[in-house]
Amino acid sequence: MKVSRRDLLAWSAGAAAALVATPVPWKLLDDTSIWSQNWKWIPQPSRGPMEVKHSACTLCPSGCGLRVRTAGGYLVGVAGLASHPVTGGALCPLAFAAHQLNWHPERLRTVRHRGVESSWDDARAAFVKACGEGPVIVIDGYPGRAASVVMEAFGNKRGEYRAFQGTEWKVLAPYTRWSGVPASDLGYDLENARTIVSFGAPLLDGWGIPGRFTRLWAKRSAGQNEPELRLIQIEDSLSRTATRAWRWIAVRPGTESALASGIARVLLEEKLVSTQAPLPDATVSEVALRTGLDISTIRELARMIVAQQPAMAISNNNAPSIAALNVVLGAVGERGGIVRRSRAAKSYQDAEAPISSARAVVLDASVPWSFIPKTDAEVFRFAAWNGGPTKADWLLPAPGFLEELSDVPTAPTASVETYAVAPAITQAPHTTRSCAAFLASADPSLTSAEKVIHKRCADLYRARVGALHSHQQVPVARLETDSQLEEQLWNGSVWVGEPASGESILCALKKWPADDADSPVDSHQSWSVPVMPALATKLYQESGLRESQGRIA
Amino acid sequence: MKRWLLMFSFGFVATLLAGWTAFPRVLYVKKPQPLEFRHKAHAEKSGVAECSECHALRDDGTFAGLPATEKCAGCHADKIGESQAEARLVDFYIKPGHETPWLVYAQQPANVWFSHAIHVKRAGLKCDECHGKYGESDQVKLYEVNRISGYSRDIWGHSMSRLRRAPGDGMKMSDCENCHHARHVEAGCLGCHK
Repeated sequence: MKVSRRDLLAWSAGAAAALVATPVPWKLLDDTSIWSQNWKWIPQPSRGPMEVKHSACTLCPSGCGLRVRTAGGYLVGVAGLASHPVTGGALCPLAFAAHQLNWHPERLRTVRHRGVESSWDDARAAFVKACGEGPVIVIDGYPGRAASVVMEAFGNKRGEYRAFQGTEWKVLAPYTRWSGVPASDLGYDLENARTIVSFGAPLLDGWGIPGRFTRLWAKRSAGQNEPELRLIQIEDSLSRTATRAWRWIAVRPGTESALASGIARVLLEEKLVSTQAPLPDATVSEVALRTGLDISTIRELARMIVAQQPAMAISNNNAPSIAALNVVLGAVGERGGIVRRSRAAKSYQDAEAPISSARAVVLDASVPWSFIPKTDAEVFRFAAWNGGPTKADWLLPAPGFLEELSDVPTAPTASVETYAVAPAITQAPHTTRSCAAFLASADPSLTSAEKVIHKRCADLYRARVGALHSHQQVPVARLETDSQLEEQLWNGSVWVGEPASGESILCALKKWPADDADSPVDSHQSWSVPVMPALATKLYQESGLRESQGRIA
Repeated sequence: MKRWLLMFSFGFVATLLAGWTAFPRVLYVKKPQPLEFRHKAHAEKSGVAECSECHALRDDGTFAGLPATEKCAGCHADKIGESQAEARLVDFYIKPGHETPWLVYAQQPANVWFSHAIHVKRAGLKCDECHGKYGESDQVKLYEVNRISGYSRDIWGHSMSRLRRAPGDGMKMSDCENCHHARHVEAGCLGCHK
């Protein structure tokens, strides 16, 4: 029988019809998809024993409790630690994907000198030479850590130590000017407040320590007509915080501080508060004109604020009139207001202050990438990730997420002192060095961060104050040795001090401060790392959990 | 019958036959295990009654997987029988202190995280509900590796159509999902994926 072209076509049609009834296409589709997951250039989690460790996040000063999963010694998952006394399991979107950060394509792997690959030996030689030729300024992003002690000692010896002032510190700066109490000693006693007046602060969009205010609001305010905690949001647009607030007061953009002056004037004129304070210059009608509100609305707002005490104002910038409103409300140094949580913190020179003379400037990896020192000195910048073009002369690869031992002192905005240790859970895959270790290599007389942590643990034990929090609470006084306390901290426990006693803070407010031009502080700047992994970036952009000032209302 | 219909039928039947019989043979490569092992004989002669006596959960709840040769050496430090497999175990693995390179039927992709402790202790699942009745087998079966994906045939299951499978035949993600769904247990993506 001769096979014709027509026969072949008929045979092929039969074969094609039958093919879909065989496992061939479906199985090949499944197998090739699995095959594509196993290409050799796709990073794979290590095989090896799975372990779960508790630690603290070191990406920003909030120090959220972490539950970290490792496989074969590498980080493969991060989740919030529900037993953490402050964050209670909440994390920002960046921390949720932080285990990917160490594998980010922009991870710094080699020393670079003005864009050209160099070596640690060359960097060290250049730094030692600079140290011999003039003063060195060391800039720290998260002061108060054990590594900061090393950096501070070096800076004080060879030039100057400066601290980068985060958003939260800037907002508290007016109280420091009036009372002399360092901003790093102050915190917000949100838990005892009953009325919170937010002047544009994104309280429900990731302000402060993740989860702290959100949980408080969910428990005491959400869905209630007469909530236990009244949140009054004063803002020009209907932000997510504004939509959830008990009251939203829409004002003209940039007039929040003027409204604060107006509210203070009503409080003082109508004697709604017992505080003695200078009267703001602007009259209520002038404030009404600026803000676009009715005079009656401003008066009603003032009465509403004091109706349920304690009341506190929270600002999104360093406008002194909003801070002065807190003085008028008697919220400074009182429960449910701005409280002094410690006496140990120091004041540091602001990193942004002009640099008169320096031979070299050293930037720790905790300093935001966007910060560029205004100087002609040689700049040594430590960073774990490359954040794009930089003016730094030396770019030095620093340990990444949980790749080095660190400690986490009290978070800004917290009302109670805390202390945690974040051990190195995974090994750095590249030749990295921390700023503190680099400085110690140039000056062997300096101590190490590990020794500082050891000493801090011994000091905490000797003070016999506070308690260790993990799945249970153990008072320090019940611990038998300092090594027991240190061991528990290394295993993820958090030391929590005594609650702020409500020690009064005397604010010398002789004259009502002038309304500065409002300069909103970008609330995400203080916590972001230079670059984020793809998943975190997506979460960050699409969830809006941390709003920036550039958002569209 | 018209000629074109005849040719169509030939093509149809030939492809069906090839798809269901020849394709699996081409797709999977059979590999022998390094040793013969008889679960049934071990259960009968040594009185091992539970899978967990050899495939144990550690104190921290993690699964130890296949027993180390140290465990085998508990009985087979020296030859106690006549079988060639035992002689090979003792001479090649136990005495030199090497681990037996077993080919693992249930090996999952590296991005999967699975807790035996949760499934066995909390959910009360029996081993054979996922692994099949290995414990009653009289010899280890050939390990069939997929040429494309590199995983064992036990992951897809022995039925190419994945219909009318015996309990424990197949360990695809959909098998996990079906079981979770049937028991109304939500795990979420990160419950299983690293």
